[in-house]
Amino acid sequence: MTRKRVGAGITRPLFCLSRSRAVQLIHDPVLLTVIFCVFALIGLLVVYPLVRVFTASLFQRGAFNPRYFLYFFEGRPYLLRPFLNSITVGVLVAVIGTVVGFLFAYAITRTNVPGKSIFRWIATFPIISPPFLLALSAILLLGENGIITKWLFSRFGIRWSIYGLPGLVLTETLAYFPLAFLTLEGVLSGIDPALEESAMDLGASKLRTFFRVTLPLATPGLAASFLLLFIRSLEDFGNPVVIQGRYPVLTVQAYLAITGMYNLPLGATLAILLLVPSVLAFMLLQFWVGRRSYITVTGRPSTAGLQTTEPYIKWPLFAGLVTLSGIILLFYGMVFYGAFTELWGVNHAFTLDNFRYVFSTGASYLVNTLKLAGIATPLGGILGTIIAYLVTRKDFPGRRALDFLAMLNFAVPGIIVGMGYVFAFNTPPIQLTGTAAIIILVFIFQRMPVTIRDGIAMLQQIDPVIDDAAADLGAGFFRAFRRVTLPLVAPALVAGMAYMFSACVTSISAVIMVVSAKWQLVTVALLHEVDNADLSQAAAYGVVIIVVVLGTIFLMDFLVRNLLGRWRHAR
Amino acid sequence: MSRWFLALLLLALGISGLAATKVLHIYTALDVDEAKIYIEAFQQKYPDIKVEWVRLSAGELLARLRAEAANPQASLWLGGPSDTFIVAKMEGLLAPYKESLGWQYLPAKFKDPDGYWVGIYTGFIGFASNKDYLEQHGLEPPTSWYDLLRPEFCGKLSMAFPYTSGTGYTRLATLVFLMGEEKALEFEKKLSECIHHYTKAGSAPVTEVGLGEVAVGIAFSHDVIAKGVAKGYPVVLSFPKEGTGYEIGAMALIKGGPEPDLAKIFYDWMLSAEAQSLYKKWFRVPLNPEAEVAEGLITAEMVNLVEYDALWAAENRDRLCELWQRTTGY
Repeated sequence: MTRKRVGAGITRPLFCLSRSRAVQLIHDPVLLTVIFCVFALIGLLVVYPLVRVFTASLFQRGAFNPRYFLYFFEGRPYLLRPFLNSITVGVLVAVIGTVVGFLFAYAITRTNVPGKSIFRWIATFPIISPPFLLALSAILLLGENGIITKWLFSRFGIRWSIYGLPGLVLTETLAYFPLAFLTLEGVLSGIDPALEESAMDLGASKLRTFFRVTLPLATPGLAASFLLLFIRSLEDFGNPVVIQGRYPVLTVQAYLAITGMYNLPLGATLAILLLVPSVLAFMLLQFWVGRRSYITVTGRPSTAGLQTTEPYIKWPLFAGLVTLSGIILLFYGMVFYGAFTELWGVNHAFTLDNFRYVFSTGASYLVNTLKLAGIATPLGGILGTIIAYLVTRKDFPGRRALDFLAMLNFAVPGIIVGMGYVFAFNTPPIQLTGTAAIIILVFIFQRMPVTIRDGIAMLQQIDPVIDDAAADLGAGFFRAFRRVTLPLVAPALVAGMAYMFSACVTSISAVIMVVSAKWQLVTVALLHEVDNADLSQAAAYGVVIIVVVLGTIFLMDFLVRNLLGRWRHAR
Repeated sequence: MSRWFLALLLLALGISGLAATKVLHIYTALDVDEAKIYIEAFQQKYPDIKVEWVRLSAGELLARLRAEAANPQASLWLGGPSDTFIVAKMEGLLAPYKESLGWQYLPAKFKDPDGYWVGIYTGFIGFASNKDYLEQHGLEPPTSWYDLLRPEFCGKLSMAFPYTSGTGYTRLATLVFLMGEEKALEFEKKLSECIHHYTKAGSAPVTEVGLGEVAVGIAFSHDVIAKGVAKGYPVVLSFPKEGTGYEIGAMALIKGGPEPDLAKIFYDWMLSAEAQSLYKKWFRVPLNPEAEVAEGLITAEMVNLVEYDALWAAENRDRLCELWQRTTGY
């Protein structure tokens, strides 16, 4: 700590503050160039496509004609219904997902239930796998002819339908509650147990302590988790496209309008209707997180935390954990089972034919996916780290704007990102449709917010005085970045890139708009199988994707544990 | 010296590598499994041509051609109903090819007069019903459009969106030819209240019927047999007695496509009796009179067909789809 204070004194003497920030920049032309390039990239590849979606919704054949917005306010059902449906699903998923995530997090951080690491591992499963697999197995299990549906009907005569609202809420809750869990786990373990202990020392019961101390302290976290899940649910494309039934939502309708009807103004209008609530939620989220730091400053609990051991609290929560994990395992298990069956619903004999199909018809899709994700990952990782470095470590005019714009795609649903790329890069001067480049760029800039956030988290673990020292010793921007910052963050960067790679492999919503004859991806192929209701073949694709993702993550884990450690020791 | 030799060797390898892999890019609206049959057979015959292909539904495919008009990514469009081809021709997205070997044998109604597209098969709209469901409820398969509205089937129907699928649009246009526009839309409105869900791809309802997800689906008869009956699903095919619509499955060269010569080779081959005899595997009705025909195939004489004006259907596509959306709200 002393070192830091001394360092701060050396590198930021008072007189520096009086200089204008622009003048500082001139002293480092490399930095200036980097900042300029980053702004240019963000402007061209984040902002410009969005602008094109706006103009496409407002102009037709060059004339101002917001026809579909007027229809929307007129209440035409094909515009109004998807809007209301999306909001309904979003709110329900956000509420249920947050409650479930909170209980999960509470059980893990505040009780001594057995098997915590297994539960945590299972809960992260939906995050790293393609989300629409949940909808696929929901149909295998709970569809009109699903395993559970049949059993319920034959035993109890109950008939019900998973399609529409129930299916959407079920699959999206399962897909996104882990985000609530991770957020709230951080929040709960960040609450100093001393506060709860003192409440109880002062005579409050467990229940009273929970409602008067723990819950109020976790409230901002709950709100953040609610907004996060709302945004994620609004932008979800993979699950609704499979299971929406008679309950159309915005993402799918926008996709159908563009790819099915080639009605650009209608598609763009649906996209804007989707964009407004998600950006509002995003701004609220930024406001909330910005105003209150609900995660403790140190980021780690000071002690192991106060743990409940009372059986009447612990075992019901444990039962809840087991049930939920069981459901997740059941859903993913179904995908595996479905992949090895001859003809789903009719002939459940074991077969490898579906995999033969995937590795013949689908082989080039898989290779494409791996190739493009493999190119996008290091580029995205490095660009994200550079932007993170700029916004956390450097001071320059427009820093906050850069931060906001670079994070924008977090709130912009993937389908709109993809649509914007098609609109913006379909004609010269920048014609990219049909190329591999457009898919790579979509990968990079759709994942940008996450890589930046990872980058910021990494940099926060490094004392800034170290790069200031490098700068003082005469190292320029690149030298300091390459020789000092990069080696220090390497393990975290590798981990971040493994997750980015998995995210690219499993992504669907943005890339579905930009795939082409030459560059078709494995997730899109999976979706076409689901479209054609070839469930066993779809499941086989799903298994292959899961194996690739798990393989990547295990490989990353191995690299971080063994090679990087040795590499750093060697230096 | 050896370095030079190595470089030359590499260069030679590179050139021969290029020569061996002439690539032909195809967009197809055929089902993936079906397209594979023809493309694999083609590659066996022409091993030096590598076919790269993407399956898109007919509506999606047309959208893709429009989007890529300035810079086409594929050279050949294989399969899908002729009305989307007529629209594409009107928009200048296709290239003519009258010299094709097979062009001569086709009667006028199965080809474009100017050679912009040719028919490669024909098919009829039919109903696919789940046998188990029919038995459980003591029902006969529907034999009238109005049967679909019966309470036993209401809520258990599946069919494709008219705006994403050639099958879906053929259904809508058929009803218009049968009942007149106003009544057809009224009927579609009632159908939409009885729908379980709409699908994007035209053949998806067949598998859904097979799986028991829905009781009755509307699709092309060859899809019903190939994806339902022949796969072992409990599916039965029936036709509306009032009359049903049909498609002419077509093929065309894409204007400005990157590999016109390779595309012509495929085009000629696809019109040959050899290629169309492969239709047996998919229960399609071939248009080459010399092609072998599958046993038990439903042919035009067995079905009551409406007067289907593909040109009118194509010209009114956007308008009808918009009307349909306004009427049904989907």
